[in-house]
Amino acid sequence: MSLEISPHIPRQPLLRFILSLADDELVLGHRDSEWTGHAPILEEDIALANIAQDEIGHSLVWFTLYEELTGHSPDSMAFERSWREFTCSRFVSYPIGDFAYTVVRQYLFDAAEQVRLRMLSESKSDALNEIAGKLEREEAYHLLHSQGLVERLGDATEESHRHMQAALDQAFPQALGLFESLEGEEELVRGGIFPGNRLLRDEWLEHVVPVLNEASLRPPVQRQRERWGIACRPDEGGRRGEHVKPLEKLVGDMQMVYTLAPSAKW
Amino acid sequence: MMDTQWETYEVFHQSKRGEAHVHVGSVHAPDPEMALQLARDQFARRLKCVSLWVVRTKDITATDYQNESFFAQVTDKSYRDPKAFEAPDKNSPHES
Repeated sequence: MSLEISPHIPRQPLLRFILSLADDELVLGHRDSEWTGHAPILEEDIALANIAQDEIGHSLVWFTLYEELTGHSPDSMAFERSWREFTCSRFVSYPIGDFAYTVVRQYLFDAAEQVRLRMLSESKSDALNEIAGKLEREEAYHLLHSQGLVERLGDATEESHRHMQAALDQAFPQALGLFESLEGEEELVRGGIFPGNRLLRDEWLEHVVPVLNEASLRPPVQRQRERWGIACRPDEGGRRGEHVKPLEKLVGDMQMVYTLAPSAKW
Repeated sequence: MMDTQWETYEVFHQSKRGEAHVHVGSVHAPDPEMALQLARDQFARRLKCVSLWVVRTKDITATDYQNESFFAQVTDKSYRDPKAFEAPDKNSPHES
């Protein structure tokens, strides 16, 4: 991979950005894996296990880039950090809830990821271009799957609609936490690395609101001329390490085996 | 009790262009598009695959195992069997 990250790109904001992506993928992948053996139908069980593997695979791609820039290995980042040092959004940390919540969360996340990867494919950083191109192919299928379930369950029956709307009411403010601005982010915007989380959020809204409405689901937004206005309070804090308690348990579970024998070779 | 399962779709997998689609199993799905996606997850993630077909199980018309006479050979027709020469199997990996 070409690591042509030009010297006038501020290093710390770039590292923070890469790490936030890696942590989101790792934690959501772990959450998805918790469905293994518990999904409502066998086919979805296997599909979710596949998605979990993909997301964790994507986190490895970002962690590997992070390693090339800092020397910290992916294993050390995943297994040797305290949960308080993770920079994932709170959104991905929450427990899996019911299947409706899982579907809605995965959809809102996949849509954000697709918009972000498209933006990164136009980044001035070759390394980010290359990764975006690679991940986008797989992410397109995650979106097809989660969006397909949202479209079908949103208005299939009165009961499915009730579950999906309740899941959306819960997940939507949390999902907005994905777009929490990172310290020094404006320097990445100036450098043409990434257009910024604010723009990402606006484009994400353009993508998800019509899909949700089409499925008879109502997110807390209002149209304001050129863009969607948010009518709820975004659940932010994760990027600054202000996490919710469920992350502590998740990271504990994830690191349990590793911490038993940190020097073991797998 | 009402059957709350999704209906089943039979899945046919093609490993290479030009080869036959081979029946590999079935999936539950709410409609053909989801059936293709779920079939991809079940059958195309490890096996090499270039094409999948899904067919609603109930759209398949099949013979009845009870009705053995459907396949019965009453008189000796062994003279029809191509036994005198070897036919190469074009799908066999060990082509002669």
